[in-house]
Order: sequence, then structure tokens, then C-alpha cells
Amino acid sequence: MSAASPTVRQGAATRAILYAILLVFAVIYLLPLYVMLTTSFKTLDEIHQGNMLALPGEWTFAPWREAWGSACIGLECEGVHGYFFNSIKIVIPAVLISGLLGAFNGYVLTKWKFRGHKIVFGLILFSCFIPFQIILLPMARMLGILHLANSTWGLVLVHIVYGIGFTTLFFRNFYASFPDELVRAAQLDGAGFFVIFFRILLPASIPIIVVTIIWQFTNVWNDFLFGVSFASGDSAPITVALNNLVNSSTGVKAYNVNMAAAMVAAVPTLIVYILAGKYFLRGLMSGSVKG
Amino acid sequence: MSFLHINNVHKRFGETHVLKGIDISIEQGDFLVLVGPSGCGKSTLLNMIAGLDSISEGELLLDGRCINDVHPSRRDIAMVFQSYALYPSMTVAGNIGFGLEMRKVPRKERREAVDRVAKLLQIENLLDRKPGQLSGGQRQRVAMGRALVRDPQLFLFDEPLSNLDAKLRVDMRTEIKQLHQRLGTTIVYVTHDQIEAMTLASRIAVMRGGELQQLGTPQAVYDDPNNLFVAGFMGSPSMNLIEARIVERDGVPVAQAIAGDTTLTLPIVRDRQALRDWCDRDVIIGLRPEAITDPASANHREGNIHEAELPVELVEPTGADLYVVTSLGGAHINARMRPGTPLRPGERARFAFDVSRMVVFDPETEGRIRDERTADVGDVLETA
Repeated sequence: MSAASPTVRQGAATRAILYAILLVFAVIYLLPLYVMLTTSFKTLDEIHQGNMLALPGEWTFAPWREAWGSACIGLECEGVHGYFFNSIKIVIPAVLISGLLGAFNGYVLTKWKFRGHKIVFGLILFSCFIPFQIILLPMARMLGILHLANSTWGLVLVHIVYGIGFTTLFFRNFYASFPDELVRAAQLDGAGFFVIFFRILLPASIPIIVVTIIWQFTNVWNDFLFGVSFASGDSAPITVALNNLVNSSTGVKAYNVNMAAAMVAAVPTLIVYILAGKYFLRGLMSGSVKG
Repeated sequence: MSFLHINNVHKRFGETHVLKGIDISIEQGDFLVLVGPSGCGKSTLLNMIAGLDSISEGELLLDGRCINDVHPSRRDIAMVFQSYALYPSMTVAGNIGFGLEMRKVPRKERREAVDRVAKLLQIENLLDRKPGQLSGGQRQRVAMGRALVRDPQLFLFDEPLSNLDAKLRVDMRTEIKQLHQRLGTTIVYVTHDQIEAMTLASRIAVMRGGELQQLGTPQAVYDDPNNLFVAGFMGSPSMNLIEARIVERDGVPVAQAIAGDTTLTLPIVRDRQALRDWCDRDVIIGLRPEAITDPASANHREGNIHEAELPVELVEPTGADLYVVTSLGGAHINARMRPGTPLRPGERARFAFDVSRMVVFDPETEGRIRDERTADVGDVLETA
């Protein structure tokens, strides 16, 4: 026992140092969020007194109300709520459609292999490595031809096209380890292409669906470049509106309203993480095949 | 016309020739076991019957109908997979009923069919569980239930017991056999386990390297193997293969093998006609361990017993039997004796050879040397 205690003590010490370092980094990382939150609940007077880290002396929800409903963006003073729903209108179809297409691609590329399937997958994968900036001009031209310029549907299309590479990658890798025998058994049972996909594969894909949703939702919601390039004015997403709000404040900068608007823009991704995160670790494949 | 007729079936994957012309016919109610070492093409053949692999050449007939180009789901065939392949997101009832659902069987009938099969397999209490909540043996039953519920013309089993532990495997083997006897279904079963093949089959097809080595009843394959491979593969412990020489003595051929400093001479009873041509040539003789025993246990009434005294090298009691190792023709051979036979290594003991069970092989071609009746070694031995 006595021989073991120095190493035990040493282990505990290492652990303490480790946790201390982690704690420091966590604080550094969370500090801006803390400042944002507290500032958004302060009055402008209190903000002007300085002391950024102090809790609000007097809690006020006025900045949140203003950011949501009456802050001026450009010439219109209706807050960010319209743009918030623009983002919702973009993100839901973009995530669902790109996810579904990616799942189909993954299914076909692993379970219905055709001649040249590796090349097709390689090309789809290649799209993951194309930087946003490169496709701005051709994409703008394409949206013009399709009469989708300056519309939320145009942005939906852009995000679907851009997302397919990633969603295909996720689903293909997931389905590559999905037992082929299940597909064969379903074929013998008389199930066709779509029935096998919707009844056998998709219900067993919860973990990768969650990964895809988190990934796509975050990317689409947080996108600024495509939003500012392809959708201006009323159809802009919230990221663009936030930028315009901060830039178009006249006279005194309303930091509390800006912070509240930024929180509004950040909350949906946080919610997605909190709701979907716990499904990450849930393996639903157990028991379909041996061990 | 046979029920399932596999007619000169070939399979090629690009350059590799996996199946080189397989011919097998079985009747309705037969239990055909395809057995062979891994890579012999038995699973490929099964997948081709199921329709999951295409047929490169040849013809598959089921009940007189060519099924080469029939979709798997329309062949009226059900298959039990090695990994069970249960649908993970469905309950046991959903798994069993899925095939019926796909065939648009009304919900009520489906429910009845599932219940009937569940009762047959004694899994009624598991119907609402998911596959993940079942043990290996239970999953095995569900997989069988999924095949049984459709009441197909032909059942295919792809090494269904290989994922179970040893005891459960024996139990399930018995159950499959009972099920076959009760339902009288036609089954094609793939395994690499020759004991499974012997116990279950009504017909065994021994395969190696994409070629059929022998097709026959288990007893025929065991007692009358076509070649050295079949002789060595079937049976455990395996057949003793002894280098020997055929010489003529008093006008009849006998086999002589070197036993230490003496020579053991065994009279030839079987295939005597064919072996006349082999005088003064080397052969390999095959004798099952149970054909070499102690004089008291030997079957003097039916067998043709020839006794000899040989040194005992090793004694291996298994409880039910006593395996005694001696050397003959330069190799160790196993003799099966009555348990409790008082023998110790180093002693000399009397061994009784049942020469009526002796088979002789050509060491060059590894084929059997047989009398005219089935002289062609490459031929498939047909036994009723």
C-alpha cells in the first residue's frame, strides 16, 4: 500500500493541474458569452459606466424587445424577427433536403453499387474541398438564370448543393458498415429499393442523422457569405441582418440591443446541440447482427 | 424430374472461376447439406439459388421452373443468414411478419401466421422485443421464424449455427432436424462443419475449390468416399490414410504396409477386381478409426477381421472411447477401442482390422480405386 501511495498522489496532482488548465480555458472561452448575456440585460447608462464584467444592477428586457421588434436595420425599424424567420425558412428545407439526398447517395453508393461508384463518390467528396468564395460568381449567375436571385429559395438551393458533399460523406461511411445481409434479407422478403431504405436503413440511422442535422444546421444558420451575396433586403438571413443592425445604428451605439440581437441569432444552434447532442452516443445498431 | 436441379452451374468473378460446373439434384423433402472448407464456393452456390448472386453459366430449376432470371422475392425461397440479419428497428413480430407485409397479406392473417410460427419456435413471449434485447439462440429462432412464416418451397440456411456456442449449437442442430422431420420442407444448408453435415443431411454435397467432390447420403459419403479429400474431410477423428503396396499372394491382391520392423499384410475384400491391376504398385489405403479396434470389440459377424500385433504409442481416453495411436506405413494411425482396454504406451497389443471397410486410393490422382460399377473416380456417386 505504502509503495503505491506516491504514484497515487502523483496521479492526483497531475489530474488537479489538468483540471485547473481546462478550467482556465473554459473561462476564457465562456467569457465573451458571459459579457454578451449580461450586457444584453443592462441599460445603456449602466453600460457607459464601464465595468464590463459586472452583473446588471437593474435587469431589463427592453434591449431584447427592441432587438426582436423595433431596432432599425437600414431604413426599416422592425427588429430582427423577420430575418430570424427568413433563416428558419432557409435552414429547415436546406437541412432536410440535403440530408435526405445525402442519405440516398450513401445508400446507393454502398448497397446498390454500380460501375464507377468510387469515381462518383470521389467527385461528390471533392465538392467538400471547394471554398465558398470560388463559386460566388458562377452561383450568382446560375441563380439569376433560375430566377431565384434575392430570394430565400435561392439560398436554400445554394445550401443544398453545397451540403450534399458532406451529407453524402457522412451517410456513405455510416452505411458502409451497415451489414449487407440485412439488405439481402429484405430483398428476399420482397422489399424494393425505397422500402429497404425507408423501413430498414433509415430507422437504424438515427446517430448519423443527428450528426448530419447538427452539422448542416450549424453551417446553414451561421452562414454569412452566401447570405450577403445572394439575398439582400427583406430576404436576408439573420446573420446578415445582425451585421446590418450593428452597422446602421445611428448616434449612440446601443450595445445592449446589439448583444441581444446576437444572442437571438445564436440561440437556435445552441438549442440544436442541446436537444440532439444526447443522441450522438446512442447506438441503435445493436442486435441486428452477431455480437 | 427432381425438385431442385442445379445443372452445370458456373460462377465467375472477373478472372476467377469460383464454381466450375456444379450438378446437383434433390427431391422434395430432401435436406441437402453443402459442405467443404472455406472458399470452396458453397456459400456462393447458395446465394445463386437465392438469387442474390447471378449465374454465369448453367441453369437452376426449382420444381420444373427455370429460376435463373427470377427476382429473389419471386423465387418462393426463404433464407436464414449466418449473421441472422434481423431488422434492428423492428420488433420480433415485425421481423417475422415483414415478408408477409411486403406480400400484402392482410394484418389479421399476418398476425395469425406470426403467432403460429412463434408458437412452433417457442418465442411467443419475445414478440414485442427488439433484436438487440435477444440472446444468440433467440435471434437464431427469430431468423428461422422469418423464413418459416412464408411457407416457401425451399429453405436456404447459410451456416446458421456458426455464431452460437458449442452447447447451443448442438441443441439448435437437433431442433432444425426435428423441424425438418415435422414440416417435411426441402432445405439447402451450407456448413463447413462435417458433423453438422452428417447429422442433418439426407444428401451431402462435398465441395472443394469450386468443384463437387461427391454427392450422396451421409453414410455413402462416409463409407465410400470418392477421393482422398472426401475421405479426409468427413469424419472425426479423420480416416487413417496409410501408405501401402499392393502385391499378389496366392493369386489374390493383398495390401502390405510397413509396421516398424515388420510388414503388415491386409487381405483385400472390396474392389478386388480393380486392384488386380495395381499389383506391385504403391497405393494409399484408408481405414476409419472404428475399423481398427481391439479383437474383443471387433464385429466378427459382419466384418472381415484381420488381426495383427502392433506397438502402442499413445493412449487417448475420451470417456466413450479409447483412441490408441500406433504407427503404420510411416504415419500415426488412430484405432478406436473399448474404454478400459488395459493398454500402456510401449506395450505391444493386438489390433483387429476390419478389412471389409478398407478403401484404396491412387496416390497420384488422389482418386479412389474402385470396381467397375463406379469405376470413374470423377463421377458423382449416386446412392439411393
